Amino acid sequence: MSTVVRTDRLTKDFSTGFWRPRPHRALDALTFDIPAGGVFGLLGPNGAGKSTTLKLLVGLLWPTSGTAELLGRPVGDPVAHQRLGFLPEHPTFYDQLSAEELLVYFAGLFGYSGPERHARATRVLDLVGLGADRRRPMRQYSKGMVQRVGLAQALVNDPKFVMLDEPMSGLDPIGRREVRELILRLRDEGRTVLFSSHILSDAELLCSRVGILNKGRLVASGTVAELAASAGEGGQGWEVVVTSLPAAAADRLAPRVRRVTSIAEGRYSIELGSDVRPEPLVAELTAAGAALVSVTTLRTTLEDAFLKAIGSADRGQKAEGTGQRAEGGGPQA
Amino acid sequence: MTGRVRLALAVAGMAVGLAAAGAVLHARDSAYPLPVPTQHLLYLRSSRAATRMMLSFKSVASDVYWIRAIQHYGRERKSLRTSDRFDLLQPLLDLTTTLDPRFNIAYRFGAIFLSLEPPNGPARPDQAIALLEKGLAANPDRWQYAHDIGFIEYWYTGDYRAAAGWFDRAAKIPGAPDWIRPLAAVTLAQGGDRTGARRMLEELRGSEEKYVRDAAERGLMQLQALDAIDELQGIVEHYFATQHAYPAGWSDMFGAGKQPYDPARAPFVYDPATHTVTISPDSPLNPLPKKLQKK
Amino acid sequence: MTARRIGLVAWHVFKESVRDRVLYAIGVFALLLVASSFLIGQITAGQDVKIIKDLGLATIELAGVLMTVFIGVGLVAREIERRSIHGLLAKPLPRWEFIVGKYLGLLLTITVNVAAMAAALYLMLAWMNWESPLNIRRSWDAPATDVRLLISVLLIYAELALLTAIALFFSTFSSSALWSVVFTVGLFIAGLESEDLRNFGDIVDAPIMARLVSAIGWVVPAFSAFDVKAQVVHGVHVPAAFVAHTLLYALLYILVALGAAVVVFSRREFK
Repeated sequence: MSTVVRTDRLTKDFSTGFWRPRPHRALDALTFDIPAGGVFGLLGPNGAGKSTTLKLLVGLLWPTSGTAELLGRPVGDPVAHQRLGFLPEHPTFYDQLSAEELLVYFAGLFGYSGPERHARATRVLDLVGLGADRRRPMRQYSKGMVQRVGLAQALVNDPKFVMLDEPMSGLDPIGRREVRELILRLRDEGRTVLFSSHILSDAELLCSRVGILNKGRLVASGTVAELAASAGEGGQGWEVVVTSLPAAAADRLAPRVRRVTSIAEGRYSIELGSDVRPEPLVAELTAAGAALVSVTTLRTTLEDAFLKAIGSADRGQKAEGTGQRAEGGGPQA
Repeated sequence: MTGRVRLALAVAGMAVGLAAAGAVLHARDSAYPLPVPTQHLLYLRSSRAATRMMLSFKSVASDVYWIRAIQHYGRERKSLRTSDRFDLLQPLLDLTTTLDPRFNIAYRFGAIFLSLEPPNGPARPDQAIALLEKGLAANPDRWQYAHDIGFIEYWYTGDYRAAAGWFDRAAKIPGAPDWIRPLAAVTLAQGGDRTGARRMLEELRGSEEKYVRDAAERGLMQLQALDAIDELQGIVEHYFATQHAYPAGWSDMFGAGKQPYDPARAPFVYDPATHTVTISPDSPLNPLPKKLQKK
Repeated sequence: MTARRIGLVAWHVFKESVRDRVLYAIGVFALLLVASSFLIGQITAGQDVKIIKDLGLATIELAGVLMTVFIGVGLVAREIERRSIHGLLAKPLPRWEFIVGKYLGLLLTITVNVAAMAAALYLMLAWMNWESPLNIRRSWDAPATDVRLLISVLLIYAELALLTAIALFFSTFSSSALWSVVFTVGLFIAGLESEDLRNFGDIVDAPIMARLVSAIGWVVPAFSAFDVKAQVVHGVHVPAAFVAHTLLYALLYILVALGAAVVVFSRREFK
């Protein structure tokens, strides 16, 4: 099928307060599609509703109104879970079991039997780097190890669609890189990946499409390039990094360029606008005795798009009092 | 099927299940009542052991045993067993009053119901007297207990000397009402007399305890029945005297279809073979006090 | 497929409970109780068999109740509290299968434990029998290794099966393990007194109150109805029909409790 997730005005209210419960709207008329193949990032500040969305999709929560479909079935239908992999937000499993026992158990739930279960468990634990520790009880695991178990159990059934709720949390930089590589590998294998995160740089590197949530509303969605373009005010440019530049020369440079930043003794980062070519400047600086370290293009980042989307949404909310609604698939108007 | 309908069906199914379960349990208890070995129902056979073990919960424990005593009495009344009935009544009341010696109602209840004859009680006036004596030892100001013993001796055991002695003693307890004093004299003079008994019962009918009032009411009705039997027997004898033959049935004496009833609305029974009038075996006033059969 | 998934959940529950240290704490406690009954038995001549039987059966029941409440409630309520259940519910496992699987797993745990304790009791009684001279043995109401004790064990087992279902039900709807324990224990105590509640009319005059309390007495699970310890210890006959009725009662009530658990759990949300 071509769409793994489809939601239509999906809304979720929670009642807060004990004596006079008032509804708190965690998700407001969320409407978007996730096509098969590729990596979709669900982004937003803390409390935006990312986890809520994932939990609704996997059937841990029930919608207050609106509908949602997962792999062609209404959410909550266990049949759809046969080809689904899910990493929960704060994974905890069963302290008394070892990772291997857990994976074998879960593999059995998918219908695999006997040796196949063990084979899959071993394979997927090796994939996440827990091969050596797989027989130890999980109460001895560190947070990072538990996170890896979470990833492993999301993959044990060769899922068509993998949903990861904050997959990087609890991992050190090495771990995060491994997870990034894993996600890309899943994509290359033809699977669809949805992950939620508030770390934008990961999304930038991984995602083909992105949705930004703020306070329960979808405030922007589209490809990374589209979003960045919509946010950028033609904000391209260059960054030139040099060393051994005398301070005096740096000072003389300042008015001609957008910004000069001192990184260390003699080492400077120079930002140029897109209208200025870097080559003449480089020649000039090297003639003055500086050594060139790098020349890179600057693009508006996803972060800019993000802040802009959140900011305008907040402003819009204040102005109109109701907030905007974004159509799925297109850049913010 | 929508979620709502499914939920309603599920709840209905569960209600049916609960009802069925209750029905099974009820059927079991009716068809196969298990005998309960005495020792286990009491949990603690010895009162003294109970007192030591209950520590600060004596009062509560005494309440529990009191409730069990009443339940035991209620259940035995309804039960169809023919032997060992009410066998736990005295031990339970004993435990109750040991744990709380001031448990007034337990003494009064025991006084009445331990003495009653089957099917309403175990016919153990001796146990009732023992309980009341225990109560008097712990509460010497309770003239009612002394009076109750006197009554039991009068009504059940027929020991009029003892009855008179107890009435005397009751009268001497400070706070005893005036009408007790003459009772001793009356008892000695007329022992076995319904008038005296009637007077005692009328006084008891004014008691503050409901059990005592009800028992007194019933006693009075029994006395009325005894009086009625005497009258009816007189009519039978009169018939014989005038007709030179005993009547064949009530219709001979009173006319066709007429029938005398006792104060509890049960018909009196006339046995043509022995020419005697008796109370119906189904009457709730059964059994009538034997010691007061004569006027 | 359904059966296999239920079996997997059940086996997993059993494995977890076997590794739960609470189980061993209760086991040690039970052992101490039975050992103490043995000591008491040595002191009172002739009555020791009865005391060992009394205490032994009571220990099986008490230990079973503790296991059911703490392990049973612990397993499910803690699973929900700690969110281990999030990963599980993302699998192709319908919610009702989860409940049934949990129940069967707990039941297996209880079965193994009751069987072990009953075996230990019989061993102790057999030793007692071997040790006692013939004249003492003749004075006993019932033989030391009386097979009829198993009737009581069977009914205790049914009682525990019912309590497990109730504990599972309370775990599914309350949001913390502590409350589940409180409710389960509360209902257990009420159930022990259910006969008194049913006969409330014997004590109280007010008919409305009596009928209300009586109704509660019928609805509450009648845990007191499984108690034939007194009869069995004294060798009093317990008819097979009595046992059959009691087991049927347990089965019906278990189905109701599990049904309720499934209904509640199917509608439940997990934040």
